[in-house]
Amino acid sequence: MNGGWRALLRLLAVQGTWNYERMLGVGMGYAAEPLLEDLKTVDPVRHGEAVVRSAEFFNCNPNLAGLALGATVRAEYEAVPGAQIARLRTALCSPLGALGDELFWAGLVPALAGLALAAIALGAGWWAVAGLLLGYNLVRFGTAVWALRTGYDAGMRVGSAISASWVPSAVAWIGPVAGAAVGLAIPLVAGWYLRGIGWAGGLGSLAVALVGASVSRWFGPSLTSVRFALLAMALLLLFRWVGL
Amino acid sequence: MTGLASHAVVLLLVWGTVVAVDLVSVPQAMLSRPLVVGAVAGWLAGDVEAGLRVGVVLELFALDVLPIGAVRYPDYGPATVVATALAAGAPWELGLGLSVGLGLLVAVLGGWSLQLVRRLNAHAIQRRAAALAAGESRAIRTLQYGGLLRDAARGLGLTALGLLAGWALSRWLVLDRQTAVGLTLVAVGAGLSAVAGGAVRSAGRGARLKWLVAGAVAGIVLAVLR
Repeated sequence: MNGGWRALLRLLAVQGTWNYERMLGVGMGYAAEPLLEDLKTVDPVRHGEAVVRSAEFFNCNPNLAGLALGATVRAEYEAVPGAQIARLRTALCSPLGALGDELFWAGLVPALAGLALAAIALGAGWWAVAGLLLGYNLVRFGTAVWALRTGYDAGMRVGSAISASWVPSAVAWIGPVAGAAVGLAIPLVAGWYLRGIGWAGGLGSLAVALVGASVSRWFGPSLTSVRFALLAMALLLLFRWVGL
Repeated sequence: MTGLASHAVVLLLVWGTVVAVDLVSVPQAMLSRPLVVGAVAGWLAGDVEAGLRVGVVLELFALDVLPIGAVRYPDYGPATVVATALAAGAPWELGLGLSVGLGLLVAVLGGWSLQLVRRLNAHAIQRRAAALAAGESRAIRTLQYGGLLRDAARGLGLTALGLLAGWALSRWLVLDRQTAVGLTLVAVGAGLSAVAGGAVRSAGRGARLKWLVAGAVAGIVLAVLR
């Protein structure tokens, strides 16, 4: 696979042109360019068609985009009919989106952020920040290399390769780890702040937390946590201004 | 914040731009997590403690966000830079509430600005539709670099606007001690409710919920023992 490392680096910017029309499409085309270079000399017409297809609509979790990129580039070199490649791209959107979002956004990120929050509350300071960055990026880069290689090796059979890979089982266990890490962090962070404020202030803060959790549950998406916080702050300023 | 040196302001602007671009465009290395942003911004502003305190509260809010697909979510990167700059140099109990409040406003504005950049990207693609249909690699590269530049400009503008608002607040808004501490209590309480609400929602009713409860019990024991 010539141009693999360049494609890998370009995949870091796969969302650089994120938009509501093609979503990751143009970013995928940008990442595909070094991989498709050899096709230009072999079959220039096919190369032109492949470039067009590479930048068409595509969406998935950016960390697993390499699977689709590798698979479609391999299919282009194997002269698979264009319509079939387009169908493969479309078919990969949902599974790669769902698996990647579960693995990274709902799993790894809250797990590492929860552990980092707990570590800061326990006095780790910079080490916690470094651990979060190192842990995430090791997994992320490792996944990116694996995804591009696996996609390229599997070609049109990438679906089976994903099912047989470590990803589905990792998705199953990362969720509970994330839950435990965030659960651990909440009381430790609360203690870290409230120790410096005193018991009366601490109780006040916990009351705000309880009200926030309750109203967010009742009002759902119309009262997000950020809106609740801003509303509570505005009310406090108003009450203080009128002398309460 | 009015005491920040000009080179510190420039570095904060650069850092705000970097973390804004990191959120979606490149390299998505989690530089934009409030915890990371706050620690570095605090170091740049000469008050790491303030950066960590601000970063942790905003991280509680950020954990309530699931950045999936086309959903609109706040941009906490430049927001944390701005909030840390405002909090730097003051005792954290007094500075945290107001700075988190400003940070949340900047984060919401950041979410809107992200939508704007996405629309501008779509317009740019429409303008080059013919070149894309002809398979011109150069058009793809131009679009990609244009998208990255737009996002960088967004980050720089957002950070500059936020720092300006922070400077105005620190210069003209005088809060008494009770109000300042009250805002801090509200900020911490709202942050805790955000992270708890998000964690319970993500946990559903399966194994994750049990692990969430187990983690919380362990956290309570550790917090009491400390």
